[in-house]
Amino acid sequence: MIQLVWLIPAFPLAAFLIDGLFGRRWLRAWTGWIASAAVGASAIVAIGVFLEVLGGKQQTVVQLYRWIGVGDFQVNVAALIDPLSSTMLLVVTVVSFLIFVYSNGYMAEDRGLWRFFTWMSLFVFAMLILVMADNYLLMFVGWEGVGLCSYLLIGFWFERPEPYYAAKKAFVMNRIGDWGYTIGIITIFLVFGSMNFLDVFKRVEESAPAQSALTLICLALFFGATGKSAQLPLYSWLPDAMEGPTPVSALIHAATMVTSGVYLVARSTPLFAAAGSSLEVVGVVGAITAIFAATIALVQFDIKRVMAYSTVSQLGYMFLALGVGAPVAAIFHLATHAFFKALLFLGSGSVIHGLGGEQDMRRMGALRRKMPVTFWTMLIAGGALAALPPLAGFWSKDEIVGAAFTNGHVLLYAIGIVTAVLTAFYVTRALWMTFYGEPRDRHLYDHAHESPRVMILPLAALALGSVVLGIAIGFPPEQGFIHRFLGPAVEVPGAVEHVPELATILVLALVSVAAGVIGIAVAISVYVRHRPDATAIARAAGPYYRILVNKYYVDELYDHRIVEAARAFAGASWAFDIHIIDGLANRIGWLLSLSGTGARRLQTGIVGNYALTIVAGLLLVLVAYGGYAAGVFGR
Amino acid sequence: MTFDFVEPVVFAVLAIGVIAAGASVVLINRITAAALLMALTFLCMAGMFVLLGAETIAAFQVLIYVGAITVLILYGVMFTKYGDRPYGLFFQRQTPLAAVFVFALAVPVAIWAFTFTAPPPRPGGGDLPSLATSVFTDFSFPFEVASVLLLAAMVGAIVLTKRDEAREFEARRP
Amino acid sequence: MVPLGAYIAVSAALFFIGCAGVLVRRNAVVILMCVELMLNAANLALVAFSRRYGAVDERGSVFVIFVFVIAAAEVAVGLAIVLSAYRNRPVVDVDEIRAMKG
Repeated sequence: MIQLVWLIPAFPLAAFLIDGLFGRRWLRAWTGWIASAAVGASAIVAIGVFLEVLGGKQQTVVQLYRWIGVGDFQVNVAALIDPLSSTMLLVVTVVSFLIFVYSNGYMAEDRGLWRFFTWMSLFVFAMLILVMADNYLLMFVGWEGVGLCSYLLIGFWFERPEPYYAAKKAFVMNRIGDWGYTIGIITIFLVFGSMNFLDVFKRVEESAPAQSALTLICLALFFGATGKSAQLPLYSWLPDAMEGPTPVSALIHAATMVTSGVYLVARSTPLFAAAGSSLEVVGVVGAITAIFAATIALVQFDIKRVMAYSTVSQLGYMFLALGVGAPVAAIFHLATHAFFKALLFLGSGSVIHGLGGEQDMRRMGALRRKMPVTFWTMLIAGGALAALPPLAGFWSKDEIVGAAFTNGHVLLYAIGIVTAVLTAFYVTRALWMTFYGEPRDRHLYDHAHESPRVMILPLAALALGSVVLGIAIGFPPEQGFIHRFLGPAVEVPGAVEHVPELATILVLALVSVAAGVIGIAVAISVYVRHRPDATAIARAAGPYYRILVNKYYVDELYDHRIVEAARAFAGASWAFDIHIIDGLANRIGWLLSLSGTGARRLQTGIVGNYALTIVAGLLLVLVAYGGYAAGVFGR
Repeated sequence: MTFDFVEPVVFAVLAIGVIAAGASVVLINRITAAALLMALTFLCMAGMFVLLGAETIAAFQVLIYVGAITVLILYGVMFTKYGDRPYGLFFQRQTPLAAVFVFALAVPVAIWAFTFTAPPPRPGGGDLPSLATSVFTDFSFPFEVASVLLLAAMVGAIVLTKRDEAREFEARRP
Repeated sequence: MVPLGAYIAVSAALFFIGCAGVLVRRNAVVILMCVELMLNAANLALVAFSRRYGAVDERGSVFVIFVFVIAAAEVAVGLAIVLSAYRNRPVVDVDEIRAMKG
């Protein structure tokens, strides 16, 4: 089955081509089912591959195609199948499949349905390439591909201006990150002579390269990861990306594309481990992003925005895990987060769909009576996000903060705990504002309805995952299945395996649970019992509140400093081009025209003048001859 | 009494004749007079050839230039009339500029021309034997080509001046 | 013995007189006459050099014969052209013939 791994990206690619070429005129509504079937088939193959890796095939490279061979620079299209990549393949295909099924219902009335599934299929293809690649360059192909599809899908409803701007912003920020990635891989090639993962990791061990080079590589790659995974400073595209359809937000901006940065760093663990201080940078940036985004999520009114900032925050947790030396925990959280965050998004989509397009939570309320299945599944997902045991989120998040503590990063641990409190608070707030209380908009409430079955079933499946996944692969902490499975793939060989005592584990777990409970309790107090009242807090906090609502004015800052500078530069370049370069060309033309007009005056048509010209030439010749003969002109 | 003074004197006379007649051709207004003065130039030129010892060339000069070419020119003069234009205005507009150029050229060249000297010549004979030998042996090919050239010129001149009787008949129709 | 330079000077003078005539006179036929003067001047120079330098085969003079031929041909054709142009427009003023202007 592993040899058939090329089928996994092939199915979505075929769906992309079929839907793209024939979807508009002939296939119409079938495009969705074709795409879903394709991803479903990929999921089945992925399961097979996963089982084979489980069965003992630790590391296989499947060569597919000889791509670039220029002297020393050899890059092939090949797949590296090991526990890490097979896990990612599984997560990506399964979650994608559920979201595709859901989209058949959500996007059913949209005229651009065929376009939607075309881009989504292309996206899945690119993501799978990214995950399967055995070298940095092929991964970059997938990297760029998902960025492109993100742009296409965010700007899906391009008839309105906001999606277009959001798509452009996402793409440009991604590109800025890609610059870092490119520098990283070029340096990798210069230092190690290859872009192949296995080659590079082997050479890191054998010949310890210069620290400065390694640090440059790692920081450059991480910069690329911040762009893709929406960490500081390249995060602000993700909330704006909510302009895209909700399934897009669920798939791309929760479960898959944004996790590619995490995957990149996890895959490059040998490099980061050897580079010393880079891991600290990763961890710190992750932690700061986590708490930063969580604070913004506290005060947002658009339900999708809350989820977007939540995603940024949770991604921060994953980078925090990587930074403190627990890559397995990071991947674990990536997997669980994929499920419950996708569920949260799809559930929000269900709510939005049921309300006919409303996204502002201030207009919602008491929807649990009208949309029961959506309510229950979102409740489960919210609990998972808040890291309540025994739901999935608890196990993965607990491992992260636990690793932070046991590896000595106390400050990061504290930030993680505080963020957990905030997370619990805002998710409770969001759920309460949506599903509880009194309906704030009677008209909307009356027309609200539950979503069709094609949308409900994926919600249920994801909910099941959110409940079961954590225990299934993460228990007991630090020694669960996932550690035994992924450990050899990502841990640095030779690093000390630091298994803490049972007592420590229990205490840490208790603290995590307490954090979640505190957050929920405070939220209930504020919103249900109005003690203290939410609006009162807002008024009391005054300017702090405004800062939060305006997202710390980061967008304005970027716009003022960076975008304006870029515009000025562009304007200057344009002026230079128009006036100096074009001016030069125009002036030369004008000069030639002028000389032409002047030379024309020689053509008088009077033969006598021409004879005179001959005589003048004769004079010239004689002058030259005389000059040479007399030595006036030198040799 | 030595007759050594004869040659330079004759040369001087002939030279003055050539130059004066030539200048007159350029400066005289009446065309017929100019044509005849041109013939005089040719005659003086023939005299110079004789002075140099090239009698055959001199004979040819008289035959061809004074004879044929002068007649041709006179034909041309006869067939082209000034019409109503007065005899004045007979210099081109570019005359001043042309005069400058030519003067700038002529003076240095003439001065330089004076500097030519030749080794003392072998005692003459005529030029006819050697000329004839050269033409008919070494240069027989150019000689034949020259005949062809004359033929071509003759045909060309005829073709150019042939009256297009049909067109003229049409033009004269009332 | 008249020095060679004298002959060449006369030749040069006549040549430039003819040249000036070509550039200065308006009447086409007169221009042709001046061209003949120039050709004569060239002939004089050729013969002078040939006879004075004493070449056995009189090459200069042979060349002169060919110049005669060419001069004759040229006058004939030139006059033919002038006459046929005259038939078109009865003008022999070269300043007036400027159909090729520009």
